[in-house]
This record gives sequence, structure tokens and C-alpha cells, in this order.
Amino acid sequence: MLKKNTRKISPMAKAAVSHYIEASEQLNKESAQEEVVACRTRAQALLLTQAFPTLRDEAWQYTKLVQFVQNRFEVAHLTPQQHGLTIREVQSFLPPYQAIKLIFVDGVLDKALSDDCTALPKGLSIEFTREAVQSSSEVEVWLEQEDLVNSEPFGVLNNALLAEGFGLKVAENMAIETPVFVLNIQTKLNQISVLSNRVMVGKNAELTLVEHFVTLLNEAEQEGVEACTNVVTVMDIAESARVRQVVLQQQSDLGYYFHNQFIFQSEQSDFNSFYGGLGSQLSRHQNHLFMNGERIENSQNSACLAHQKQLVDSRTNTQHTQEWGASRQLHKFVLADSAVGVFDGMIGVARAAQKTDGQMDNKNLLLSNTAKMNSKPQLEIYADDVKCSHGCATGQINQDQIFYLQARGISKPKATEMITKAFLMESVETIDRKDIQQWVAQEFSEALLSGAYFKTDTATE
Amino acid sequence: MLLTIENLQAEIDEKQILKGLNLDIKPGEIHAIMGPNGAGKSTLASVLAGKDAYEVTAGSVMFDGQDLLELGPEERARKGLFLAFQYPVEIPGVSNKLFMQTAVNAVREEQGLLALDMFDFDEYAKDKIELLEMRPDLLERSVNVGFSGGEKKRNDIFQMALLQPKLCILDETDSGLDIDALRLVANGINALRSESRSFIVVTHYQRLLDYIKPDFVHVLYDGKIIKSGGFELVHELEEHGYDEIIQQSK
Repeated sequence: MLKKNTRKISPMAKAAVSHYIEASEQLNKESAQEEVVACRTRAQALLLTQAFPTLRDEAWQYTKLVQFVQNRFEVAHLTPQQHGLTIREVQSFLPPYQAIKLIFVDGVLDKALSDDCTALPKGLSIEFTREAVQSSSEVEVWLEQEDLVNSEPFGVLNNALLAEGFGLKVAENMAIETPVFVLNIQTKLNQISVLSNRVMVGKNAELTLVEHFVTLLNEAEQEGVEACTNVVTVMDIAESARVRQVVLQQQSDLGYYFHNQFIFQSEQSDFNSFYGGLGSQLSRHQNHLFMNGERIENSQNSACLAHQKQLVDSRTNTQHTQEWGASRQLHKFVLADSAVGVFDGMIGVARAAQKTDGQMDNKNLLLSNTAKMNSKPQLEIYADDVKCSHGCATGQINQDQIFYLQARGISKPKATEMITKAFLMESVETIDRKDIQQWVAQEFSEALLSGAYFKTDTATE
Repeated sequence: MLLTIENLQAEIDEKQILKGLNLDIKPGEIHAIMGPNGAGKSTLASVLAGKDAYEVTAGSVMFDGQDLLELGPEERARKGLFLAFQYPVEIPGVSNKLFMQTAVNAVREEQGLLALDMFDFDEYAKDKIELLEMRPDLLERSVNVGFSGGEKKRNDIFQMALLQPKLCILDETDSGLDIDALRLVANGINALRSESRSFIVVTHYQRLLDYIKPDFVHVLYDGKIIKSGGFELVHELEEHGYDEIIQQSK
């Protein structure tokens, strides 16, 4: 049969594809349920025909994958190794507020470091992808959105390597006060952590989910490329449920990060999300949000801070399908040195989605003449009675503001820090839980004071 | 002498604005500088505060025994020079409290004093907010954001009251103020008068000067001071305008 495939795949990409297919095959040899093996196999076939996006693909024209393809990362959960981390070593990555902690090291759940999952608050249950894949009847939850996940190149890779991650479930009418905090630590070079996460929040239930991505390299290991993280989160938010999500990505500046979120909201539910992107040489955080019901509310906000040659890519696709939906977005980028920012946002309003109220803002601050921002806010509206707006502004720090602060005795570096921080905080302050907001604000403050983005007082003295 | 300006020449975008300006100010004195549009009044204020768009091409400025022109704007502020802006700047997201606590502590550090924590600072700021009849939530609000013209100017005088400078330069602080705002600003300035604190009041109008009664009045024209006198010079100017003095000086 003649294959309808005009895509040219470079030898380098072919080598990468066979590398990951081989890993997927190896996973298939381990104990796994039939339908999981089938899902992985279908992903392999897709991988084989489409490989990885290149600059010719519009959605990837600013996000170069050449190095990612070259690197051929080892699949971390294929051969889990002893990492020897103690709770004391990971302490600095844990939040100062009370939380139910799940800790993944090199893409594998570490039960000893994590909180006891048999003593969870009433209404909350956690199942791990590994167990679901092997034996649980819940495995259906992981496979339900297979096609949708496969619509993204890194979703395909995620399905091909489906084996780790978590599944959270909140029962109807249960409000889980304590946040679930998931820490993902990379300790080894040249590996890819693949996490397939599922979140189901029942009718009128409430959940706060915080995800933190970090790197803690073993000093003995020096050679190689820094690790890559590939996450897919599928979230189902039932009628009148409320979900608050905060993702803080602080991997080492040399790492890679790809996160695809597919979020389904039912009527009158509320989804409030924040993404903080500080780490990785290449990072891409994507929300695909489907508002499948009336009177749905959501807010998707982000703050990204990058320097040197980092590339930060943040995307949202928000689909209003029914009446009276309200979506809010504020995305802020601060770029220093030769950093590149990419924002791509789409608000779609279907014919039936009258009275939609959608708002999307992207504001960017360039701290150098060589930093670059690519922004593409889009609206696609098929209903005639809606209120939608989108905007984008990119600029440098106003020198009049700096001089005003200087004229009151504040040094130029301090003035720059104050103004940059204030710029980012507008987005951070959309996190509507004070304890989490303060924790995120603190992480941004420390980054700004480190001297990595501009000269600070301590850096000059 | 607190401030000695000798033969000061300055330009912006290669256009000479100040063309040899001389001025001596002793501690406790109030000097008014008047003059027609484009004479160089605001340039003088900006050059003294250290705005780097202006280039000083000749002359010297000694402030409290040191070469002012050698210092960056923040060092000038820490050593006691204060500029009230003609157009105070809005800074979204930075609260007045963070702004002024940082500023006050920068000045205190220069003076070898301990930093004020947030409680000390609130206490310190309280009566100054009352003096200028600022809104009670002033400290929590972003710097000058959503303020009326009058409120912005009062906020600058409030900052001046907090920083307790040696030399206050008011750059057309009275422009755009209604009678009530003008009275509040004038009260603020008068409350800060002392034997050791001096003022340079740059203005177009007599009304602010009526409130604060300067010791000296100078007429600035074409980058130079062409006439100096006492308070009576203000009335002379109101009556005859600048033309007569400009003609005499030629």
C-alpha cells in the first residue's frame, strides 16, 4: 500500500525515532495490560511517520528541536536506578506550606520520600500510572484521550512511553483543602522523564494542585546533556468543581521541558491556573482547554523569566463551546541577554457560545537589545454576541521610572529589580491562595536577586 | 555655602541650554527661579539631580563640600539633594510603601543609621501623610498610579518630608494645582523649612511664592541668570513681565 506521507525525515531524526521506538518496545515487553501495549504501539507508528517537528512546522517555527533530536535521551523509567536522595537533600524544593507531597525522582515515583498515600484526606484518592498500566481497571482513564494526546508531537512520545505519573481523583462534593504538591527532580544527565498524569475532579469538588520541576545533579556526573521532562496532564473538571493549579518550572538552565495539558471543563466549573517558567534551555508549556458547558470560568496566567540563550514557549488554546463562558489570561515574559520568548494564544468561540467573555493579554519586558519576543494572540469567533479581546505589548524598562527611583536614593540595579519584579508580580498575584502565591513570589525574587538577569547591588559590590 | 554653581553650561541632544549659570545658596535660604518658557529652568533642576540625558560641558557645582557632578543621581539623593518632579512618574506594581521604605533606608544607610522595619516606617510616615492630607491607603497603592495631578505633586512633597533633604529643588511643583492643592503643597514646604535646609523653587507664577516668601528671586533667561533680587522682584515681574528685564540685560 502506498503510504500518504510526504514528510521528509532527516537521518538524525530517524535515528532518534528508532531510539524511542526501541525504548517503547522494551516497555511493551514488561508486564502491561493489552490496551496499554496497543496504545504505545499506535504511538510508535505515528512517531515513525511524523518524527519530530522542524522549523517548517508553523507551531514550531521559533522552537528549534535540533538539539533535542540529536541528544537521544535515555528513557529514565526504563532502567530505574538508585538515586540515593534523602529527604534532607530535597527539602529546599519543598514548599513552606502544608501539602500532600508526591516526589518523583528521575521520572519514577519515590514512595519513601513521598507522603503516605494510604492516609489521604477523605474524598481524595491517588493511583499511580505504573500500577494502572500493569493491572488496574482504572487504566481506561489513561487511554481515554489517546487521540487528542497524539495530536501533539510530544503527546505522541508520551503515549509511546506511557508508564509513569500519577492519577488524582477527588470525589463529588469533596473540597480538598490541603494542596497536592508534586515534586519532579532530575538527578542524572542525558535522560528523559516521561510523566503521564490524569486528574479527575468530581461534581462540586475542589482541588489545589502544585507541580514543581527542578534539577539536582549529582556532582560526580559532569559529562553529557541535561535532562528532559515530557509531561502530559489530562484533567477532567466536572460540573461546578473548582481546580487551582500552579506549575513552577525551575529545571537547570540547560534542561528541556515539554508539558501538554488537556483540560476539560463542565458547566459552572472554575479552573484557575498559573505557570511560572524560569528554567530549561528549551521549555514549552501548553494548555489545551475545552469549555464544554455553560457558565464556565477559568483563568490561565503565566510569568516567564529567561536569560542567556534560553527559549521559553508558553501556549494556550481556549475553546468556548457554550454560552456564558468567561476566560481570563495574562502572560508576562521578562527576557534578558539573548533569551527568546514565544507566546501563542488562541481563543476560539463556537457558534453556540453566545455571551462569551474572553480576554487575553501578553505583556513582555526586554532587558537587553538582543532578547527577542514572538507573540501571536489570536481570536476565532463564530458567535455574534460576545465580548472578546486580546492584546500584546513588548517594551523595555522606562528610563523615567528608573530615574525617579534613583532620584530618591535607590541604586539603578535595585530600581531595575523593583520594576522587573513588579512587572512579573501582576501575573503571580493572580494565584488566589496567599501561601502558594508567596512561595512563587519568593522563588521569582530570589532569581531576580541572583544577578543572573541584570546586575544587582550584591553582584556589583 | 550649601550649593555653589559656577559658570554651569549644559546641553541636551547637542543643543546648549545652560550658558554659564552662577548661583550661591547658603543653608536655610529659599531661592526662587523664574523665567520665560525655554529659559532653562527645568534643565537646571534636572542637571542638579543628575539626569543623564543632559551633558554638562563646563563649570562646576559644589554641594555641601563635594563635587556634585561626580556623583550619580542616587548618591546625590542620599547626600541630601531632593528633586520634586514637574511630572512625577507612575510605577505600576511598586507600592509607595516599598518605594519609600527602600529610599528612606538607602538614605539612613548613608548616614550610618539603622534601617527602619515596616512597623517603624509606618509610624514614621503617619504624621507626614496627615500633614499633606494624603489618602490613608497611600502606602498600599502603586506609586502615583491613578493619582490626580495634584495628588502626584503632593506625593512628591510627602517623599520630601520623609527623606529630610538638605536641599529641595521644586521643579514647577505649583503648575496644574488648584487652590486647595497649592495650599497643601505650600504647607508641606513651610513645615519643612529650617535653618539648615535650603530650597530652590522653580516656578512661572507668583501664587506659590506668596505662600512661601522666598529670600531671593532670580530671573533665568537664555541659560543665564540675568537679574537677582529679593521678594519684591516677583511683583515687578508680575507688573511688567519678563520683557523689560530681558531688554535691560542686553
